[in-house]
Formats: sequence, C-alpha cells, structure tokens
Amino acid sequence: MMEVKRDVVVMGGGPSGLAVAVKLAEMGRNVAIVESGDELGGILVQCIHDGFGVKLFSKALSGPEFASHFIEKLRELGADAFVRTHVINMERKEGAWELTAVSPKGVIRLSSKAIVCATGCRERTPFEIRVGGARPAGVYTAGMVQRLVNLYGVLPGKRILIVGGGDVGMIVARHLYLEGAEEVLMVFPEPWFMGLPRNVQQCILDFGIPFRPRTTVKEIIGKDRVKGAVLVKVDEKWQPIKGTEEFYPCDTVIFSIGLVPNASKLEELGAEMDPRTRGPVVNEFFETTLRGVFAVGNLLTPFDYVDDAVETAFIAAEGVSKHLNGEPRREKTVPIRPGPNVRLLIPHHVEWLKGGDLTLFLRPSVEVENAKITIKTGGSVLYHTRRRYVRPSMLEKIVVSRSLVEDKDMGVIVDVE
Amino acid sequence: MRLEGKVRKALEKHPDKNLSYRIKDGVVFLYGQVDSYEEWVEIGLEVGKVKGVEGVVNKITWKGYPEEKVREREERRKRIFEENKDKMIGSYDVVIIGGGVTGTAIARELSRYQLKVALLEKSTDIATGTTKANNGMIHAGIEAPRSTLKRKLNVKGCRMYERWARELNFKYKMVGSVWLITPRTLEKYKRYLPGPMYTFALRYILPYIVVFKALLNGVKGVKVIRGAKIFEVEPYATRDSVAAVYVPWTGIVEPYEVAIALAENAAQNGVEIFTNTEVVGFLNEGGMIRGVVTSRGTFQCRYVVNAAGLYADEIAELAGSPEYTIHPRKGVMVLFHKATGSYVKHCLAEIILPQHPRTKGGGINPTPHGNVVWGPTADEVPDKEDVSVDPEEIQLILTKYSTILSEFPRQKLIRYFAGVRAATFTEDFVIRPAKWVRNLLHVAGIQSPGLASAPAIAEYAIQKLREMGLELREKPNFNPFREATPSLREMKPSEIDEIIQKDPRWGHVVCECELVTEAEIIEAIRRGARTTDAIKRRTRAGMGECQGGRCMIKIAMILSRELGIPLSQVLKEEAPLFNGHVRGEAE
Repeated sequence: MMEVKRDVVVMGGGPSGLAVAVKLAEMGRNVAIVESGDELGGILVQCIHDGFGVKLFSKALSGPEFASHFIEKLRELGADAFVRTHVINMERKEGAWELTAVSPKGVIRLSSKAIVCATGCRERTPFEIRVGGARPAGVYTAGMVQRLVNLYGVLPGKRILIVGGGDVGMIVARHLYLEGAEEVLMVFPEPWFMGLPRNVQQCILDFGIPFRPRTTVKEIIGKDRVKGAVLVKVDEKWQPIKGTEEFYPCDTVIFSIGLVPNASKLEELGAEMDPRTRGPVVNEFFETTLRGVFAVGNLLTPFDYVDDAVETAFIAAEGVSKHLNGEPRREKTVPIRPGPNVRLLIPHHVEWLKGGDLTLFLRPSVEVENAKITIKTGGSVLYHTRRRYVRPSMLEKIVVSRSLVEDKDMGVIVDVE
Repeated sequence: MRLEGKVRKALEKHPDKNLSYRIKDGVVFLYGQVDSYEEWVEIGLEVGKVKGVEGVVNKITWKGYPEEKVREREERRKRIFEENKDKMIGSYDVVIIGGGVTGTAIARELSRYQLKVALLEKSTDIATGTTKANNGMIHAGIEAPRSTLKRKLNVKGCRMYERWARELNFKYKMVGSVWLITPRTLEKYKRYLPGPMYTFALRYILPYIVVFKALLNGVKGVKVIRGAKIFEVEPYATRDSVAAVYVPWTGIVEPYEVAIALAENAAQNGVEIFTNTEVVGFLNEGGMIRGVVTSRGTFQCRYVVNAAGLYADEIAELAGSPEYTIHPRKGVMVLFHKATGSYVKHCLAEIILPQHPRTKGGGINPTPHGNVVWGPTADEVPDKEDVSVDPEEIQLILTKYSTILSEFPRQKLIRYFAGVRAATFTEDFVIRPAKWVRNLLHVAGIQSPGLASAPAIAEYAIQKLREMGLELREKPNFNPFREATPSLREMKPSEIDEIIQKDPRWGHVVCECELVTEAEIIEAIRRGARTTDAIKRRTRAGMGECQGGRCMIKIAMILSRELGIPLSQVLKEEAPLFNGHVRGEAE
C-alpha cells in the first residue's frame, strides 16, 4: 500500500482541479491531484469545439488546448498527478484528512490537511424528468454522445431527437449534423434556447437545424431499439397540453437536460447541501461546511464558462492557504441569501475574518432588461450594479468589497430587479 | 355435466356477447368476440374462478386484436421451423424451455442427476423476462389462498432460500416484513364500525385475523406489535400506525442474481445452456415430442419442460397441448438511491382492505444492495413485452406509499421500470404433465410469488418428471456450490491492494457510482455475459445515480475488446448499443 502525504490533495483532474493545483503549487504548497479517468483534462478532453478561455486568455481555445495550458504548468511545477486513481473512502483522522484510493498500481492512502474537491458534475437522466415509455437501446445523454463521436468515431444512430435546449445539446446537435446524422431535431420546454446566444447562432441557426420550443418528450417507443418518441406541447408551466401528442419517428433520443454536481461523497460525509444548487454549501473561499474541505468548479454549480469555474479554483486556492496558515475565522458567519428573483447563489456565507473582495455567482430566475443586481440588508440597499440584460441561462458574477457585508450579522440578500 | 353448467352460468353474465365454449378434460376453450381487452380479461378470470376448471384457453378476440402481428409471428415461426427441423443439434434427456428463475432452478435441480439436459433461452441472456424486473421479494406465504398450489410451494420455497443463498452465493437477506395497520386500513368498512369500535377492530381484531390466516397457510412465528414498538422496528413508519403485523420470514434478493447463480451452477454440473435459441415448433410422433425445433436447430429429447414464462401458452400450443392462456399483468416499480437505504428496515406495506386493484401486493422494500424499491403496480396489458412506464403510474406509486413513509427523500429516485407477470386465468401455478402430449411438463402461470417459490417449484417439477417416467440417478460428483464473483465494494483496503498486485485490472474502477472494476467486468464476460445489460446484471455497473452516463462507453469498449467485435456491434440487450459511424469511417 502506497502512502502519500501532501499539504493539499485535489480530487479531480478537470479544469478546476488543475487550476487549483497549479495555483497552490505556485504558492509553494505541496500538492497532488487524484483523477479517476485515464488522463487529465476532465470533460474538456471531449470538447473539441472552441470557445474556451475567452474571458481568461482572451482567446477561443478548444477544450484540450485549454486543459493543456494547465497540464503543462502543473508539470513545470512538478506537482504529482495520479490518474486512473479512484477515491473510495474519505475520512478525518487526527486533524488531517485521509483518502483511500485504488489504482492499477495498488491502493494509495493520501493524507493532507486540506482537500479540494473538483469532481465536477454529472448529466441528469431521463428518469429525473419522468419520461415515460420503454428503455430500448438508443437512449443517451448528450455528454456520452459527445464522447462517443469525438473520441471514438462512433455515431449513436442516424435519426436523432435531442431533448433540451441548453449549450451541451446545441453543441452535440451541430456535431451530429456534421458527422453524418440523417436528421436532427431539438425540442425543449422553454420558449427559446437556454444556452449562450453564440451557441444558438453558431450551432443551430447557421446550420438550419430544426427545433421545437415548448415541446417535450412524453414517451419513448421501441422494444429492442428506439423506434420513435411521443412529443407533446407544454404550457408556460411545462405541463403537457392534452391532445397535442405526436409520434416522431427516430432511432436515437439524446437527453441534454442539465447537470447535477457530483456531490454524493460530500453529502455522505455530512457536508451541508444547498437544495438549489444540489452542491455543497460553501463560504467565500468555497470551503464546505467540513473544515478544510473545499469545493470548486462545476461541483458548486454547473458554470456556463470554464473561465468562471477556474476562477472559483483560484479563489479556493487562497482559502486553502489561509486554512493551512491557521488564519482566524469569524465567530458567526454572515449568511448571503438569494432573493425572490435569484434561482441560485454561491457562496452561501462569509466565514473568514480577513480576505480580499468577495466574488459572488448568481443565476437569475427571471429574464429582465436593464436589470439591477442589488445586495440588501434589512430594508437598505448596500450595493447595486446594472446589467443590460439578465436571463436564467446566464450565470452572473459580481465582485464586491468585503467591508460591505462584514458587520451584517443578520446576513444580506442578493436580488435582481 | 356439472362443470359445463358452472361454466355456462359464469358466461351468462355476458349474454349479449354470443360467446361459445368447449370443455375438454377440464380445460375450457372460449370463443367469440368482445369489445375491449378488459372484457377479455374479465371473462377469462370469471371462467378461471369456476371450481373444477383446470385451465382456460381464451380464444375470444377483442376490438383491436393484433391479428396482423399474430399472423406475422406464426409465419415467421413456420419459416424458421422449416429451415431448422432437419438440423440436429444433439440428443437430450430433458430440454427446458425458458431461462428465467423457474427454468434455471429446474435445470440446476436436474443437474444433480445423470442426465443430459439442455436449457433454451430465446434472448441474449438468461433472466431477461419476468425474472429481471420484479421487486425481489421472498414472500413468506401468507397472501396466497390456502387451497392453491402456489400457497404450498411459496411457504416451502421461502424456507429453502437460506440454503440456496449459501450454496449459490447470491445476496439474500431475511429482513422480515412489517404490515402496518392505520386509520386508513378499514376505511371502506368504517360505517359498520362506529366510534371506538373502529380503533378496537384495527388494534385488536384485524392483526389477529392476519396471524390466523398465516397459521392456516402454515406460516408460524407471525407477531402483532403495537405502540412504540412499531417505531423501534421501523423508525420512519407513519406515526398514525395503530398496530402492525411482523412476519419474520420475508426475504429480499436481486431476482436476476438468483437466476444467474442457478444457471452458472447448472452449467458447472453439466447442463448445456443455449441463449439466442428461440423455440419455433415441435416434432411430434405418437403423442410425444421427439424434437424441439429452434432458431438454432433441432434438439432431440425424451422430456420437455415448458418454463417459457410469458410465452408458456404459445409453447404449449405449439407442442400440441394448449391448456391455458397467459394474460400479462404489468407491474411498475420505482427505484431509489442507496443513500435512502437507512429509511427502510423491512419489507413495508400498509394493509388496505379491500385491496386497490392496481397496487395490491406492492409495498416498500429494501434491496440486498442497499437501494429501496417502491411498487409494483398491477395492470392487465395485451402485449407480453409491454414494459413501458406511464409517468402517471410513477405518481400513483409515489403518492400511495408516501403516506406510510412521509419523511422518505423521494427526490432520490434514480430509475423506474416495469416487468410483466405471466398470469393464467386460474391464477395459480400450473405444474403438471400435459394432458395431450405424453412427455411435456407444464411449469406455467408462475406469477407472484414465483420467485419465492422457485426452490420448491423446481423440486415439485422434478417429482412430476419422475412420475412421468424419468429415471433419476444421482451424480456422484454433483457440486452444489457456485463461486460468487468477487466485488471490490465488499473488500477491505488490504484485500484490494493484494488483488491489484495479482491483477492490475482490479485497480481500474469503471463504474464510479457502484464501484465496479474492469476485472469484475471481464469476469462477467468469462461467465457468459455478452451485452452491456448482462454485465449490468452481473456486476451492477450502470445501476447508480448516473444510470450509466459515465461508464456505458467504457463497458462497451471492454466488451468490444474482449469479444473482438467493433464498438458499433456491442449489444445493449437485443440490439446494438450504438449503431453508426461518423462520416468517412468505414463500416
């Protein structure tokens, strides 16, 4: 059994895990990454389209290019990365954290004073939206199809129905169209696509891929292989409208219906969870309610831009450093709560006594032009900033001074109006 | 004739239908046409209930009867029959048709003796029909009516599981069941039980009626519990439970694991198992079956066991002894994440009288791997392969069972699925020599509690075969033990380290949700898995919260490599998992 002792262990070798490891190594910390896949880079390995790094590097890189920037840096800094290494247990032992991982070389025990979880997210399954019918071959999630097509050169089928109007679905639709699918149709319950406007233009409109808003799949038909799906129109509340059912023949149904943080392990360990994000509750340095355990990237909530996910990693690296230095925390944390027009918000509270500005990410629940993002306490507005347009499909970032909330023991509310 | 009169009387309830019937050796054949499938079922059941009726062959058609499909199926069978009837595969003492838990149990039981046995399964794997989709409950035997064969075999079979699990190494837990009695239990009868009478009946009369029923059925040790004791044994049970009946014998298994273990042990002891082998007809001579004709060729045989489940009626007809019709009854179940396992200690149900026709028999069960399953429902469906789920049924299940376990985290639902029960109109097991063919044994109508009864069904079937003239000489080298596939989930870190040093594939986790390694997948393939679903049933890879989203490609790639076939030819169950190539790639 191999024993490894480090200042920090990072679980997950995707962009956020790589970024936090690089940052910590640059700060002189002794760090190791544990990655369960065959190689570093996480989901970016299969994202051969461009658009990564627009905010961070002012360049539209492909996924592998973006990842390799951090992988090379990590190598230069000499940090360890254990690939094909899967953590099977995590426990606190004598003030430190001990991870037990399996790898083809054997069992590895890693102990460290801090852990950064960067385990990303998983795709929601058709069961989570109660799709009826049978489960023949030909039903997939979008990420799975992306991997299949981009890395292995296999198409899932020829006549394709994509359910969900988010970014992943649009990107997969374009790929399938280019790679030889005979038909592609997108359906989604919202009145318009839920992804970034650039993806709507570049993936759907530019190729004339047909789509049907306010439509969902009610049932999958087929015994051994998908023969088609029953589509149904939905109203504003996404309730199926009776009598609008229609059989759509296809051999493949791809679900691109959202992502859920891979937070089961943290939940099992007793970390507090946020039912809105389905990820862990975190403080301003993205530390979970388990002291010394941080969460970064899509494990917090799925980000629209990898650049933003990476930013959480940079912030967490500072927090790890503070934790390792034993810097003081507040006796009572200051809660940061979402207002009625905010679907989700991170971080959840301010816990440290000192530190730089606060970076908040919020997803509005409404679509508003000339929107005002506010931070309030009691009745008074502490801060506001304007956006030309906010919508649920865009995660907003605001940076505010720590002094603004420091003494608001009752907490603050972030809202959009 | 008395039986004739009773059948006529049963049919008199439908005077306008112009139905006719014929009775031969206790079997009733029904003819005519009705408006709906529901009526077809209803009439069959009414005739099936008549005392003395040994089988109902329901030849009535209904509006919307899939005539075209039936004809196509018959023509297809005829075509394959003509192609394969002269292609001899081999000669066997016993040919078993059907690789569900019944067929595999009989195969394993026969493997004790010096016999040449073949088991034929039409699908790519065993346990792909009724056996793969039920809640895995080993009933104690209280529910079945006292005079039935299924009562007798259920009570006996349940007690045989402990030994089966030990010998065959599948997961089995005797968790017991708790039947809650609540203010809702006798709501329909409340008007006959005014004021305190109602509570008194719930608390002190009904539970003892259940205990008495159990005793009559031969089930001892059933206890009545009341008050705080209920919540000691089942902490999350609804607070308004006034009493509960505790049945210690109830067990849980994963049904497909049982059938796979049986098949492996049978094969170990010489039974030849043929998958992808569909029976299309029989070569009969002098009132006996001489050969079973399949999609693979013809199996010469001395005895045939019909354990074809949902298709048992069609097999019986092809063999020349149609004695029953199967009316498929679908059950939908909802499966929850392992994190919910701590909410349920026993097989939990609420007694509601009279039983709701669509949810009777269902409940909340733990599974041996720590999940929780709710259901099943019960719906008569015309199509034997209708395993579709209507979202309304999921809602029905969630609503119904939430009342008895209100704090349960329902959002942890990870999957729902349906299975189809192979019910006959007499609603009892049909295990008897065929009436009109001398060497055919029917093992049909094996619906709930068929899984619980399986060990006793196998013994009973073999006794029947002996009575039919099959000589049973014990095999000196019969090995009742089947080795379990080791699993990383169940090893200590030191054991894991040791096994990885021997084979590094043990260190490669493929399914992260259920912690399944490449080594386990390869072992499953070595033991006969040929599809990703077969691997799932043997290793649990893909059964976690992401439902294979992360591991399905990896598993398909391992299958592709081990079987030497392209990725696009790897099967899910019956059809390829993926079926295309990107532009420019050669097929």
